[in-house]
Amino acid sequence: MQKQQAPIHAAIDIGSNTVHLVVAHCTPDDLNIIKDEVELVRIGESVTATGEISQQKRQQTIETLCKYKALAEQHGAGQILVVATEAIRQASNSSEFLEDVERETGLKIHLINGDTEAILTFYGATYEELRQSRPAATSGVMDLGGGSTELVTARNRHITWRTSIQIGSGWLHDRYLPSDPPTPDELSIARAFLQTYIQGMPIKSPPSKLIVTGGSANSLLLLAQQAFRLEQSSRRLTRDDLMRCEGLLTALTAGEISQRYKQPIARARILPAGALIILEMMSRLQLDEITVSPHGIREGVLLAYARYGENWLESINQEASTAGKSSGAGATTDVGEETFAQTGQRMLRERVEKLLDWRDEVLKNDDIEAIHKMRVASRRLRAALDAFEPCCKPKQFKNAYRSVKEMADLLGTVRDTDVMLLGLREQYEEVGIEEQPGVQWLIDRLSDYRQQRQQALETYFEKLDEAALRRQVESCIQKGAVQHGKG
Amino acid sequence: MAKAKPIRGLDCQASTGDNARIIARTRLDELYSWAKYVDNPYHVRELHDLRIAAKRLRYTLEVFEDVLPAANQAIVKELSRIQDEIGTLHDSDVMIALLRLCLGSQDSGMAYEEALVETKKYQRKKGFTLPAELVADLLEPGIAPSAEQRYGLERMLLRQQQNREKQYSDFRQHWYQLQARDFRREILDILDSR
Repeated sequence: MQKQQAPIHAAIDIGSNTVHLVVAHCTPDDLNIIKDEVELVRIGESVTATGEISQQKRQQTIETLCKYKALAEQHGAGQILVVATEAIRQASNSSEFLEDVERETGLKIHLINGDTEAILTFYGATYEELRQSRPAATSGVMDLGGGSTELVTARNRHITWRTSIQIGSGWLHDRYLPSDPPTPDELSIARAFLQTYIQGMPIKSPPSKLIVTGGSANSLLLLAQQAFRLEQSSRRLTRDDLMRCEGLLTALTAGEISQRYKQPIARARILPAGALIILEMMSRLQLDEITVSPHGIREGVLLAYARYGENWLESINQEASTAGKSSGAGATTDVGEETFAQTGQRMLRERVEKLLDWRDEVLKNDDIEAIHKMRVASRRLRAALDAFEPCCKPKQFKNAYRSVKEMADLLGTVRDTDVMLLGLREQYEEVGIEEQPGVQWLIDRLSDYRQQRQQALETYFEKLDEAALRRQVESCIQKGAVQHGKG
Repeated sequence: MAKAKPIRGLDCQASTGDNARIIARTRLDELYSWAKYVDNPYHVRELHDLRIAAKRLRYTLEVFEDVLPAANQAIVKELSRIQDEIGTLHDSDVMIALLRLCLGSQDSGMAYEEALVETKKYQRKKGFTLPAELVADLLEPGIAPSAEQRYGLERMLLRQQQNREKQYSDFRQHWYQLQARDFRREILDILDSR
């Protein structure tokens, strides 16, 4: 079915920070969004302070929902599906709140649990990526909400593990970062808390790519694009970008951030907390960058409705109970106990994909970090080859190892030169005037050399047969070893 | 670079955790087989091998982090620090070699004379090598440094040598701090626990 001819539906989620509406033409695998509205109501603020949803927040929610209902009807939405999440789950007066809101707005509100929330968010945040012909073999989605954070990992598009933790940007702000801007002491306590909590999470098979969704992540991307003039079309944020955001957010007040970078003030207040949580998760997953998705639970609800019709919630709840189970902070779900050979087969497949993911970036030659990251990926693949060599067929192993080493050596030469050049450029600024001509001479020589090596690298990548390399690496492990053999 | 020791006693059908521990113990032994060179700052090759051994152990612990206790992460951090420290030392050695090469290609100055004496003293059979294409580029007669540039390079060489001393001393101090708390035992305890 053409997206434009597909039925129109609307989804609203009532979160801890925001109430958010999306209206779209919906098919089971794709959406054509025609309206996207968000209101920062911050229900979680009153829940954290008093344990219940205040009268004022209740009223604000009702007004926002009435406005959204009218908008959805105006756009011809056949269904208006409403879900409520963590702040409502936690509130001591959630039943009264839901009754009041349903009565006043005429909308049915589904209070969903953390697992269902995680699955819906995963579908919503990844549907665009799945349009790509070669999405990452292992990916994760982190939905950074105001009151909770959902983390889902998937392998080859199938969910393998998920968890929901009761830490969100609004919550962290209210508990640990009340000053504006946060004081160094507050920041250090918040970091220590996050480090203990997140580093202790037993995440199995950390994903090679992390998609982060939620209002804070999207606001941080916007802030980085405006403040540091990042490419507007890119949705990637590196660790450095986030650290620079953190620096900015802890140096300026929320009012200044709001004024300079056109962020709602309520959002600007909780952004330092959002940056801290994302950075800690990146550190836990050993990732240097994330992709920020503007989509999430709402899009997931719409896709689920398009797939399952009226039974959408039951179907997702059932999926939540079978595709992997989590019961509280840090709970994990496995794909079953693997043998050594099976782990090797999976790991080699994942690592060769991660390595090849960098090829296009390296060929662009506009960011030296791409070469560094591809080199790191090549080292990680070699480490896995080393570790699983005893389960490999000797000839296939030798060929694969040689291919990966050849690529790693080429990347290494360019990277080592980049490191030398970076060091020399720093030194040039610091050394005395009599030393500078010598430093500059060496910089010029190394720059020429670097250019030659980049060309050699580009020639290599232009000729590289990715599919053949993938086959070479993936065929290393003996079939018998995976099923019944002995290494 | 020394070749990695072959791993014996692995069973592809056994659990990943059991095999991971066998590999990590072998890599740990390998790391400590280079420890005797820590006290000699100019055993450049062997210190580089120590770094590679630290890297192999670190990668092993990272590859198998899912099946090892969480305390493993603290060990990975220490290994990463050792790797960085010796890596910085190695980078300095490469830069010093480059500078000597640039200066040596012309009429030698005082710093070069001194550097040569030092090099001969500590030269080993299998010293590290600079990439051949880079050497060819630097020795091209058409781009030889002027007198002013040469003087700058000589100053730089002196400074680089001083930095190397400090880098070596930082690494050595860290290494002995780890030994004082019995780092090897810490790793073995983690590998023994389930």
